[in-house]
Amino acid sequence: MAGLSLEHIGKKYPNGYEAVKDFNLEIADKEFIIFVGPSGCGKSTTLRMIAGLEDITSGTLKIGDKVVNDLEPKDRDIAMVFQNYALYPHMTVYDNMAFGLKMRKTPKDEIDKAVREAARILDLDQLLKRKPSQLSGGQRQRVAMGRAIVRNPQVFLMDEPLSNLDAKLRVQMRTEIARLHDRLGATIIYVTHDQTEAMTLGTRIVVMKDGVVQQVDTPTNLYNEPDNLFVAGFIGSPQMNFFDAVVAKEDDKVVLKVGGDTLALPAAKGEALLAGGYEGKTVVAGIRPEDISDEAEDLAKFSGTVIEGEVAVFELLGAGVNLNFDYADTQMTASVAPTTPARVGDVVRFALDPDKIHIFDKTTELAIVH
Amino acid sequence: MSKKNNDLSAVKVKEKFNWPLTILLILGLITVLFPLYMTIVIAFKQPSEMTNSISGILSLPQHWSFSNFREAMEVTDFWRSLLNSVLITGITMGLALVIHSLMGYAVARNMQNSKFYRTSYYYIVSGMFVPFAILMMPLVKQTAELHIANVVGVILCYTVFYMPMNVLLYSGYLKNIPVALEEAAHVDGASTWTTYWKVIFPLMKPMHATVAVLTALGTWNDVMTPLVIMSGSGMNTLPLAQLTFQTQFGTNYNLAFASYLLALLPMLIFYLFAQKQIINGVVNGAVK
Repeated sequence: MAGLSLEHIGKKYPNGYEAVKDFNLEIADKEFIIFVGPSGCGKSTTLRMIAGLEDITSGTLKIGDKVVNDLEPKDRDIAMVFQNYALYPHMTVYDNMAFGLKMRKTPKDEIDKAVREAARILDLDQLLKRKPSQLSGGQRQRVAMGRAIVRNPQVFLMDEPLSNLDAKLRVQMRTEIARLHDRLGATIIYVTHDQTEAMTLGTRIVVMKDGVVQQVDTPTNLYNEPDNLFVAGFIGSPQMNFFDAVVAKEDDKVVLKVGGDTLALPAAKGEALLAGGYEGKTVVAGIRPEDISDEAEDLAKFSGTVIEGEVAVFELLGAGVNLNFDYADTQMTASVAPTTPARVGDVVRFALDPDKIHIFDKTTELAIVH
Repeated sequence: MSKKNNDLSAVKVKEKFNWPLTILLILGLITVLFPLYMTIVIAFKQPSEMTNSISGILSLPQHWSFSNFREAMEVTDFWRSLLNSVLITGITMGLALVIHSLMGYAVARNMQNSKFYRTSYYYIVSGMFVPFAILMMPLVKQTAELHIANVVGVILCYTVFYMPMNVLLYSGYLKNIPVALEEAAHVDGASTWTTYWKVIFPLMKPMHATVAVLTALGTWNDVMTPLVIMSGSGMNTLPLAQLTFQTQFGTNYNLAFASYLLALLPMLIFYLFAQKQIINGVVNGAVK
């Protein structure tokens, strides 16, 4: 196992399209790094550059201490799990897993040992003689995983490995991958567009958009302190609510003016806004659905930040309820307890937790204060 | 409900007996089977049984005897001619499978990004539209000058003649084989060459069978190429040897047809064998 270092990595296609721009990242040994972002954000391209399947236009890529920019995939000591598995259809499960070792001229008995060990870990013992066409989706996925494991490579690359599975199997495999990471102590780079996978699996997450890295941080920090509007909106489900507000000063206190409402801010946030010279300017305020409450206790506690809205959609999720309501010309969502009396058409008072309000610059979209 | 069911089954029965189509198929079958019947019947008849009356033509032979076959084998020097035919067909087929599949692979995988490969592809495929008659005289001269006016020249010509069609077939089929498989092999440590032989070549099995059948059938039955190129070499292929049945004084149909039947057998056996390989869905399970 080894760490990786990506320095100013860029990818420009012959037609001039820049898929990845100035990508910088140090990946420590045994880290589980997630590349996440919407379709076309360059996350798969970056992974494929690490694998050696795409040329690197600019920058330096190191695996361990070795610069591998111009090395063939086979010489990089990496293993990859593909989105569509890419199993060799004419080979049995055993041969599929043994292929990589055979290519490296590993002795037969060692191959056999490695394949059987991987099969045991992945619960594929009974399927070794089958062809991929005789396997279910989940089993194929495990074979693809097994093919990577037997090689015992420096780095595992996984390109949306769970996106072809049904919802239930995906959750199950997600836990298996997490367990595998603990067990193998491997460096894993994992690409996904599913932010739940990103949050649950990663030790660090790289959020990308239009080929540019937006933020690299631990799941907790990404969630609690997003660097910009994009990250704030991308991470978390249901997504963070945003509304425009004007920063004002009332009785020495900094408040946010939203339409006719006045939202009082904690002193620390107010100071940051004043220091940034935002007084009188419009900013974007963000608050996560779970930080909005309709319970009397919270309404009393956060009396300075109470808003009102008419419930448009009532979504019962079992453990909770999502209430969609219109506020300040935007659709907001509140995640409240299932015992809520609110129903569609009711005008409900909601309390926002002032400590959890994030404030972003309207033009640069960067976070001002969390 | 039950009435509805009855109606449905009535529709099903109607579909089963599509009379116009059935009649059409029967007619088609007759056009195939009738000449075959004639060939078999004539091959077993004696020349004395060949009359001009319809009943005489259609009737079964009086004695079923293999004497025609025996004589035809002697006249055509059957075993030697057969060996030559098998040699030429076999080598051509082998070369076609290896060279044309490699070409198809190179073209199919690079056509998108390379003008060179695109142009090569169209150039090769355009060869399909050049009639043999145009090539014949230059080829005769060239092979003679290069001292390959023999079996080597014939095989070389065949390999080139079937290239356009085979490259077209292979490159078309490769579109069904996901590139991800090759990428997986590269990551697994295989070179492009190994990837081709270990992953791509086995996966093209159905297309190999198709190419083998088409190429073998064409070379096996061809008269013209060996006639113009290697007629002076003293080697005969089966179709060449069969030309002896046609003389300027007439044609011995009984011997000729017996000989044709003999020549048909190896191809029939080969086809039955190859046909099994043409199965669909070989890449099932590769990718979701």
